[in-house]
Amino acid sequence: MVFSSLYFLCVFLPLNLLLYYLIKNRTYRNWLLIITSLFFYAWGEPVWVALLIFSTLFDYVNARVAGKNRDNWKGRAAVALSITGNLLILGFFKYAGFIAENLNSLLGAGLGVTAFGLPIGISFYTFQTISYVVDVYRGETEAQQSFPRLLLFVSLFHQLVAGPIVRYSDIAREIEARVETPAQFNYGVSRFIMGLGKKVLIANTAGKLSESFLGTDYSRLPVTGAWLGIFLFALQIYFDFSGYSDMAIGLGKMFGFTYKENFNYPYISRSAAEFWRRWHISLGSFFRDYVYIPLGGNRRRYLLNLLVVWSLTGLWHGAGWNFVIWGLYYFVLIFVEKKLLLRVFEKLPSIVSRIYLWVAVLVGWVFFYHLDLGEALQFLGIMFGVKAAAFSGPEVAIHFLSNAVFLAVAAICCTPVTRFIGERSKRLFPEKQGGAAFLAGKVLPPLAGAAVLVLSIIFLVGQSYNPFLYFRF
Amino acid sequence: MRKLRADTLFFLLVTALLGLANFLNVEKPAVSELEQRSLAARPEFSVQALFNGTYFKDYENYYSDTFIFRESIVKAGREIAQAFSFLSPGVSLTAGYEELPAPPEQEKEPPAEEPREMEKPPDDAPLLPEMDDGDDQNVGYWLVVEGRAVQLFKFDKDSFNYYADVLNRYQAELGRGVKIYSLIAPSNSEFVQLKRYSGITDSQNEALNYLKRRLAPGILSINAYDALNSHAGEYLYFRTDHHWTALGAYYAYCAFIEAAGEPPVPLERYRRVDLEGFLGSSYTKTLDKSLEENPDTLSLYLPFTEHEFTVYYAAEGRRSKVIDLQYAESKTDKYLVFISSGGGTWGVIKTEVKNGKRILVLKDSFGNALVPFLLPHYEEIYIVDSRFYSAAAAGKDILQFIRDNRINEVLFVNYMENVNWRKFMEGVQALLGG
Repeated sequence: MVFSSLYFLCVFLPLNLLLYYLIKNRTYRNWLLIITSLFFYAWGEPVWVALLIFSTLFDYVNARVAGKNRDNWKGRAAVALSITGNLLILGFFKYAGFIAENLNSLLGAGLGVTAFGLPIGISFYTFQTISYVVDVYRGETEAQQSFPRLLLFVSLFHQLVAGPIVRYSDIAREIEARVETPAQFNYGVSRFIMGLGKKVLIANTAGKLSESFLGTDYSRLPVTGAWLGIFLFALQIYFDFSGYSDMAIGLGKMFGFTYKENFNYPYISRSAAEFWRRWHISLGSFFRDYVYIPLGGNRRRYLLNLLVVWSLTGLWHGAGWNFVIWGLYYFVLIFVEKKLLLRVFEKLPSIVSRIYLWVAVLVGWVFFYHLDLGEALQFLGIMFGVKAAAFSGPEVAIHFLSNAVFLAVAAICCTPVTRFIGERSKRLFPEKQGGAAFLAGKVLPPLAGAAVLVLSIIFLVGQSYNPFLYFRF
Repeated sequence: MRKLRADTLFFLLVTALLGLANFLNVEKPAVSELEQRSLAARPEFSVQALFNGTYFKDYENYYSDTFIFRESIVKAGREIAQAFSFLSPGVSLTAGYEELPAPPEQEKEPPAEEPREMEKPPDDAPLLPEMDDGDDQNVGYWLVVEGRAVQLFKFDKDSFNYYADVLNRYQAELGRGVKIYSLIAPSNSEFVQLKRYSGITDSQNEALNYLKRRLAPGILSINAYDALNSHAGEYLYFRTDHHWTALGAYYAYCAFIEAAGEPPVPLERYRRVDLEGFLGSSYTKTLDKSLEENPDTLSLYLPFTEHEFTVYYAAEGRRSKVIDLQYAESKTDKYLVFISSGGGTWGVIKTEVKNGKRILVLKDSFGNALVPFLLPHYEEIYIVDSRFYSAAAAGKDILQFIRDNRINEVLFVNYMENVNWRKFMEGVQALLGG
């Protein structure tokens, strides 16, 4: 199930909330969350729910061993076992095909390629349990003595399938003793609606529009079409992913959990390094805390550490060379920025670095989108005028004009505009100044929330509109 | 509860009420007339479906497909979306992005299980009829400009080569005794003045000229393009449907019959009937408001030649009507009045004209509007749609069919987009068998 499905929205969530708040006892509430989360996961992965439980059990044991043996080999062995085990699971499901394929073409080894699909969320929950065991070993948190409570941490449906990668230490206390308050609930609902709107209204629309340009016959693609296409993809991936994180954070709040922010307006960055401090923060901080710093960070073999982290970051996004290249591309950018560009940008107006960032990110998405390197290079060529069919065309013009409002709204939503308006209105209408302040503070936000919800549901139903003109086939 | 904000309460209320309404609404629709497709049915539970994940997936599809007030919500959504594109009044592009519907497998029995919603056949009917709802692939662009939907044409050379190969093979197999005509119905984008948008659609005339060079010398290529173009201002195509009107089909017929060496029958000889309020395939595809406000009128020209029309469903023949008014009331399916939907394994019209001329019209739905004009010229008109004919159902492949019925002319009538779609022509090729 995904959050942006009608069944989740109209059946799973209302029922879940109803039962949750009918129950008063903390332990039973946790059990309800475990059962509904496992059901939620089984909805998409009826078989691999067993793997999820097994993986949790495995690290439940590892963490308890590591927690008791922080200063001897047993602790280190438990951590090593956990990391190996999780990476083996991840490797088997996610990368076996990729590795076999490359070995075959490299050595001519006739390795069979496993046909298992990738279990949903496996990239997220394996990282969560690794970080849990390592944190216990490092003494940053205590090992969980109760298996159901650990299972609750791993399986919580809010963040199970698409992150953020929640650290156990961040919600350890909330698992045992959290307080659900109306204020939190209000925040959770409006955050969830915001995420839903991002996903349904912006990401899905951008995705559908991008299909007119991406993956089409590139020999007909004009320069402006390539730019518009990859810009739409940039909108799609940001609003899709950050919308999902918003929904996760909002759902957490509805049930009394606080997850850390995962996105912080990445597209307003002024360098690739800043972009990655604002994009998928929980992944970046995972690699920082569990790979980059243990390897020596800035102090030792800096360049190598950076290279390792960015190759892994690329590879984490998918088992394909295009993702590796995408990661290495950021390695190069960040290195060059550190050595040269950032100092140059300081002397220039900020618009230069902003344009640089947008071009850099869009070029990056070209590699991210195209699994085939040849296509990526062809597309990149068109963006910069190499072998482009034309500079522009009527099709691009019609799409651009018909969707100008959408494009403008989406672009504005990439910036902290709501925060800006909120702060402005507070300054314009200090508290207790009557009508206008009341309107700006108490009336408009709920109205906007309600409108986004209604629009999202309308669009969700609309997305099931699939006119199959010729159903007699 | 008092501390919950208004939008929180609204959220809880809306989602819970919609959930409840869907739960209480037990009479779920099975077919959407708007979309012309059957909606997802409640999946059957099985352990296998549960474990491979299809059960839940199908259930979710079923849930959203049968969501309460779905069609009204869909339309409201389109209107909202269109309201936001005010920068380009009157012009919008709708991309079709669904997967291609596959042509029927030729070796299979004709579909017998699919119940038909619109017209219940007699209870003792052994087989249900196939229905020709349309033809072309379900992808591409629809440009809506000034209340008229236009399907854009993207020339695919390989497909045109393939079309020529298929027809050339027919000619090689049939030999000199059978005359072959190729008539391709252009899509309406060629006749709409696109002024500002020139270049958005490829030239179909150039595609046809390209094709002409590749057809074997014995195959006579009918230039429907010129025939229609010389009447460019007239009502040749529907605004809300991708088909041509009977008038458009008439001009194509004129071009054909003149090429075949006979004078066309003047249109005035026919009695005309107008059916108003037609919103066809382009409308259901785009749900464009300007189309809905501007429905089409479907004109019919009633045949004056005495005839008998039989449609065969496998071996079982059923009397049928060349102009079948049972479809006249439908809002979106009015085009099916021509040769009674054009479905069935094959059909034959036997006329009072005893001149020994027997023609096979191998067609898609564009042929449906053209066939009625052939009645004054032929003793027997055989009708085969490559999507519905199969050697298994008819008992013989198409070559044997042509020989057995002593057919002396074969007319291919296909829509430009089908010629431009290799998969469709593979179906025509498959009729030859082996």
